[in-house]
Amino acid sequence: MATPAVARDTVFALRREIARIEGRLAERLAPPGDDAVVVRGSGRVLGAADRLATGVPTLDAALGGGLPRAALTEVHGRQMRDAGAGAGFVLALAALLMKQAGASRPLLWIGTGDMFAEAGLPHLHGIARLFGIAAGSLLFAEAQKPVDALWIAEEAAALKSLAAVVLELPGNPQRLDLDATRRLHRRAALAGRPFFLLRHSAQAGPTAAPLRFVVAPAPAAPRHILGRPLAGSIGPPGFTVTLAKNRLAPPTRLVLEWNPDALSFEHRPALFEDGMQDPVALVSLSRHGADMAAAARPRMAYGMLRFPAAGRQP
Amino acid sequence: MGLADARAMHPGIDVVEADPEADRRLLEALADWCDRYTPLVALDGADGLFLDISGCCHLFGGEQALLEDMLRRFREQGFDARAAIAATAGAAWAVARFHGSATVPGGMEAEWLAPLPPAALRLEPDTCAALAGVGLRTVGAVKAAPRAPLARRFGKTLILRLDQALGHIEEALSPRQAVPELSAERRLAEPIMAIEDVERIVLVLAQSLRTSLERRDAGALALQLLLFRVDGAVARLPLGLSSPTRAPDRIARLFHERLDALGQNLDAGFGFDLVRLSVLTAGTLPPGQADLGEQAADTGETLSEFVDRVGARLGRAVMRRPVAVASHVPERAVAFLPFAPDMPAGPAEATPTPERPLRLLRQPEPVDVMAEVPDGPPLNFRWRRARYRIVNAEGPERIEPEWWRESLPVVARQENEEERTYEDRRKAAAAKRLAQRSRDYFTVEDAEGRRYWLYRQGLYGLSGQAPRWFLHGLFA
Repeated sequence: MATPAVARDTVFALRREIARIEGRLAERLAPPGDDAVVVRGSGRVLGAADRLATGVPTLDAALGGGLPRAALTEVHGRQMRDAGAGAGFVLALAALLMKQAGASRPLLWIGTGDMFAEAGLPHLHGIARLFGIAAGSLLFAEAQKPVDALWIAEEAAALKSLAAVVLELPGNPQRLDLDATRRLHRRAALAGRPFFLLRHSAQAGPTAAPLRFVVAPAPAAPRHILGRPLAGSIGPPGFTVTLAKNRLAPPTRLVLEWNPDALSFEHRPALFEDGMQDPVALVSLSRHGADMAAAARPRMAYGMLRFPAAGRQP
Repeated sequence: MGLADARAMHPGIDVVEADPEADRRLLEALADWCDRYTPLVALDGADGLFLDISGCCHLFGGEQALLEDMLRRFREQGFDARAAIAATAGAAWAVARFHGSATVPGGMEAEWLAPLPPAALRLEPDTCAALAGVGLRTVGAVKAAPRAPLARRFGKTLILRLDQALGHIEEALSPRQAVPELSAERRLAEPIMAIEDVERIVLVLAQSLRTSLERRDAGALALQLLLFRVDGAVARLPLGLSSPTRAPDRIARLFHERLDALGQNLDAGFGFDLVRLSVLTAGTLPPGQADLGEQAADTGETLSEFVDRVGARLGRAVMRRPVAVASHVPERAVAFLPFAPDMPAGPAEATPTPERPLRLLRQPEPVDVMAEVPDGPPLNFRWRRARYRIVNAEGPERIEPEWWRESLPVVARQENEEERTYEDRRKAAAAKRLAQRSRDYFTVEDAEGRRYWLYRQGLYGLSGQAPRWFLHGLFA
């Protein structure tokens, strides 16, 4: 059914006004299929410049044009052993961002000592090879306690001189509640660059982030030698990405493949037998008052060794 | 006198074991406290302090007033102290220990020292006894004796000490702390206890430091805040910066973080009566140009300011940047350095590097591996109590240990035939030891698509222990 253009404009203007008055974060104002028009709480229309196109049409459509640049984005891994996939997905998004921005500002990666002891520190040569991020564009902050990591993250979230901030935390720290995510989101919005909250084996709680990805590894495609796939080889990494929280589209799941040469995502068609089950952590939910400590326990146990503090390298 | 004798005479005595370490700590605390008079404080043996008060006396109303103030404060803290002021360290030492608290007028050292025993010259007891044996019982007698025979008989130390005490030879004190380049301090008639008051005073001190720094075209790179408590304890709060600054509000903000992080650990006791802010290291900072409105452009907090703030609160080791190191061993290939503001930013160099995992474990973790053939890739493995079935595997990539970092036995070259075979055996053994630590890395993918970096350490077929498997990293 076709509506007159003038009447539709009026309706859109009214909806935008309502969104502004209510201070809502984002609202899809166009019927599905039209070009997405999104309004932020400030009433400013989010244009293409405020979104980071991932280059995958399905994902971009679900995100309403791309990943919002000035926002908090949660990326969850279901288990600690998926830490490689989660870090890879975040770094891929950061690489897309830095490719467009010209990589003049560094990326700050914040974690706790426990986190890095359990899943390892991001390795410079692996990052440089896969994502093209040089040593000069990387900064690490290793805090002893989650509280300290959150403090660094909140202070860094307001910083304009960073390309992106990544906060990596396992489980459900007590201080990382709705208020904390709201502060992070607000500061990231003011600073105008993305903030990635990378969480492993965490229960999905209330969050101010407009987007929540759940990332799991996907089998890598084989290498192509002379134009043909080489059986048994391990090619560029794949990610099974689920958009578990998204205001603009129903939950979506798709398999992405990272192309380290072109620094871009490619969509790989895949079939999911299990539908949209178990979107977040692989832990059983308790009934009344979730016992977060017990819930976080099934994450992979610590190694036999207590690892020495960082900084032992020359 | 033995302990038993002492107890027999006074049954009620309290026996405490000597604790030289604690005495030392106490003396160092006192030296810290003496920083309020002069930054040049040196320890003297187990029970003395040297203070170089040149140029400091006028701040306290003269030498005599300084001496009285110091003795009064020591007495109030419960110490029995004796102090003397003299033009030379030796004379002051002698007068304080063998005469009592006094001020020796300049040029009168010889007269003051003359009646004192030779021990006042900081001599060994043997030397003193030997001097007494020849009838030299006072410093004056020693001074009057001919020098050459004295030196020949009692050693050069005697002459040196005599000259030092009389000021013929300059004596250098070695102060405990580096002398700060600049300092600003505030004495408080009413001791302060609240952290907010300390922060306010820090801001005032930073403002007074600013003009001095501007005059030198310098900025502070390392700062130190000294808080002198009323009861004599001194809190030292050092602070490092990544780039030189003289902005008072930035300095105050950093100390705010520092004090905030200390929280309850900073014991104000009955309050601080002296606050001092010192610049330990300064770097060049040319004067910046403000615009017509005398306002610099508001660019928000810079990265180096942020890094400094994190460093002030959580320690400087928290924020680090990775740098590539020329080493093929994965765990040595990346080093971490403290943040520097002139970090080279740019795209990665297009050097072909072998595939490396995205996350590298701090220490390779042992895994149980089942492999089809001994040298082949693993079929499945167990890591952290979970079993993984391997679908695809790539490898091996052999990484040998860095033999040039090893301390291999250096065998002298021998022409003898038998010795050469011995040397060959030594070499073969060393090569085998290295081979036992060579690693064969495999990239493996499990059924769910997770990719891991495993390695087998050692080779089959060598005597000794069987090769072991480790997991070293996770791929994206």
